Amino acid sequence: MDLVFIAQDCINGVLMGLIYGLVALGLTLIFGVLKVINFAHGSFLMVGMYVAYWAVTLSGLHPYLALVIIVPAMFLFGYWIQNLLIRPIFIAEKNVREPITVIIVTTGLWYVLDNLALLVFGPDYRALAPNPLKGQMLEFGEIFISVPKLYGAIATLATAGGLYLFLQRTRLGRAVRATSLDREAASLMGIGQWKIFNIAFGIGTAVAGISGAVLTPFYNVYPTVGIPFDIKSFVIVVLGGLGSIWGALVGGVIVGLIESVGPNFMASTWTEGIVYALFLLVLFVKPSGLFGQKQDW
Amino acid sequence: MNLLEVQDVTMRFGGLIAVNDLSLNIGKGQILGLIGPNGAGKSTAFNCVAGLYNPTAGKIIFDGEDVTGQKPWDLCKKGLARTFQIVKPFASMTVLDNVTVGAFAITDRRDLARKKAMEVLELLDMADKRNALPGALTIADRKRLEIARALATDPKLLLLDEVMAGLRPTEVDDVIEIIRKLRDRGMTIFVIEHIMRAIMALSDEIVVIHFGKKICRGKPEQVAQDENVIKAYLGENYGTA
Amino acid sequence: MTQQNFKRNCLIAATLAAFALPLVVRSATYLHILIILYLYAYMTTTWNLVGGFAGVLPLGHAVFVGIGAYTSTVLWLQYGVTPWIGMLAGGVLAGAVGFLIGKPTLKMRGAYFALSTMAFVEGIRVMVENIDMLGPFNLNGPRGLNIPPLAHGEVNFWAFQFATKEPYYYIILTMLVGVLFLTWAISRSKMGFYLKGGGEEPDAAQALGVNVARYKVMAMVLSSFLTAMAGTFLAQLTLFIYPKSVLTLDLSFELAFIALIGGRGSIAGPIIGALLLRPVTEFSRIYFSSTLPGLHLIILGVVLIVVMLFQPRGLTEPLTNFFNSIARRFDASAREERK
Repeated sequence: MDLVFIAQDCINGVLMGLIYGLVALGLTLIFGVLKVINFAHGSFLMVGMYVAYWAVTLSGLHPYLALVIIVPAMFLFGYWIQNLLIRPIFIAEKNVREPITVIIVTTGLWYVLDNLALLVFGPDYRALAPNPLKGQMLEFGEIFISVPKLYGAIATLATAGGLYLFLQRTRLGRAVRATSLDREAASLMGIGQWKIFNIAFGIGTAVAGISGAVLTPFYNVYPTVGIPFDIKSFVIVVLGGLGSIWGALVGGVIVGLIESVGPNFMASTWTEGIVYALFLLVLFVKPSGLFGQKQDW
Repeated sequence: MNLLEVQDVTMRFGGLIAVNDLSLNIGKGQILGLIGPNGAGKSTAFNCVAGLYNPTAGKIIFDGEDVTGQKPWDLCKKGLARTFQIVKPFASMTVLDNVTVGAFAITDRRDLARKKAMEVLELLDMADKRNALPGALTIADRKRLEIARALATDPKLLLLDEVMAGLRPTEVDDVIEIIRKLRDRGMTIFVIEHIMRAIMALSDEIVVIHFGKKICRGKPEQVAQDENVIKAYLGENYGTA
Repeated sequence: MTQQNFKRNCLIAATLAAFALPLVVRSATYLHILIILYLYAYMTTTWNLVGGFAGVLPLGHAVFVGIGAYTSTVLWLQYGVTPWIGMLAGGVLAGAVGFLIGKPTLKMRGAYFALSTMAFVEGIRVMVENIDMLGPFNLNGPRGLNIPPLAHGEVNFWAFQFATKEPYYYIILTMLVGVLFLTWAISRSKMGFYLKGGGEEPDAAQALGVNVARYKVMAMVLSSFLTAMAGTFLAQLTLFIYPKSVLTLDLSFELAFIALIGGRGSIAGPIIGALLLRPVTEFSRIYFSSTLPGLHLIILGVVLIVVMLFQPRGLTEPLTNFFNSIARRFDASAREERK
């Protein structure tokens, strides 16, 4: 087999994998603080993609410039959802170790959001209309690199780095980390637990918004677009270890590589099977994932 | 003959040594008290015995059998029952149903389990509250429910983890009464307790640990006079408790 | 009439009425609606065995419906094995898959289990959509499988094909009553107590001798087995199955939502959920699917969120209280009479 093809597939796999990692990042961050999986995360991505789509279509901005609209809008959306729908359940079930009701509500939210999008925007697949990045390629000899994917990968690393610095260096970030370790700790730092939960949920949702902006230049928008990413994110966070930022990126790259390199060795439809098989293998062998802590999980 | 022997048990969490080379034993029909200042490793030692933790080193012999590292549910079937410091009732089940869960450890039949549960509730003077939900009980009754569930499994050894914490003095007297009643029926009991008055009154022997290490063992009056113990612990608390 | 008797009589009356219904309802369309209603009640009840009693959240039960449907259909089409045996074979296969999913995940936090069940249904659907032959078995990819009707509208019990709706009605009603009885028996047994206790306070249950993970896996296997039987019934009722009809997240979620809205862990919950929600979602699907697509799922989602916020144990609880107050009135009047 030609090595150039393999190299090409590896590059594609890493780029796409990092973008998967970006989607999973929001999920893992929310989990890290609230200790609950947001099943509506794929729908948040879908909302992010529609926000990006409309922001670009209506304003004619470059999709990456549109982030100045998307990020705050999505942050507020997540902040508000947590405050309105999820906080009351945490309060009602504060003695429960893992309030399963929260999972249920986020699942309900998933259905409401996806079908609301179907109702409002119809089932059409929409491609970004003024799309400055459309089909652009960088050429290195025989190797081609998709520009929107490259930008996406860079945006992923920037977002992950930014989040890391935020969590390590800022006062608010430290309060978020403290809450993830011990819910009472946040109040000791003078910031209420619920506010931290709201903020964490808002940030996770904003990251879904960034993913939306990153994806729209090369991925169509439609009401159920979140589902394949949702399921992939679940696999990725379990692979990388729930709650770990770097685990999400590594997990994403693993999935991306399997999807792009795999078809050289098997029918391409089987790669998805490999991903699920890997997921099951991790569950059996090391359920805490590659970077997760063993305790409690 | 000893019902429980803890032999050189050490429990490490990362760099922290919570229990350090602890040995103790309880003879059949005895009440042994385990005391020590906060963070001394009492609960960790308890959890090692109850199978919640697998000790880093050492052995636990129960009823002549090495049970180190066995799971809580298997230990329960062998006759080792425990209560939790923070009570964990099944919130949506009635008091009787809560106790019935425990009684199913000794029988598969519902009618027999129900009968056993009622016996235990009567023994603990709780029969009239059998249809209440745990949420409607007082703290004292919830602690008593915790004991009732454990008793329903027909244990040879009962581990009581601070069952008197947070109770009023008269309620403490009631629990002391219950524990004595159980001992008179031949049950062996291992107690962690903070309330000195209670543990002094109940225990045949007391083990004191500090920073995970045993610093003293003896009859209550001996322990109360032991210099190490007074320094580590009783000096501050004995008078006040 | 005492309270107990009143309740039992109500139950017997309802069951008899259900069995007598086809004597009154002659329309095939209405019978079909009732059949689907019972089918959903059946599937949510089997969902509830693990989702309600074991206190976890399975979000992929369609995979068992699919396994049941495909197993019996493949056995019938390729080997001429009667779907009645295919039903059992599908159940066994589904039970094995349920074990495979449950064994590693049910000892961890609930999120892992929910994730795995969902990933499983998606994984299996992708697989079935992309392959025609699984070893010697012809699954026919995304086109699905057609069960050819018997020649001349022949009725054949062994072929599980009937000319009228009544036999289907009685089969699914019997299955529903059977599974309700089983659930009731389990809820009173050691297994029921252990599942409930283990779901609520795992540490306490373990200390009382409950191997919580093992009981959850047992519930999962049983639930998978029984759910697959519904899959065979569905295949024989519609005589056509394809991946997107049986192996979907939509179906998985709908079952979970109905059970949760009705009341997790109560025997009547799934029935009440199905009775309340199926008509609403079905009518909105029929009347608005072209103009307002997805409306029925929005309704389901909104109802679910509202119920979880204000009545987290489902709608059965307030309804039961209402019913009990009526029963108590009977009790009181009975006491009056005795005086």
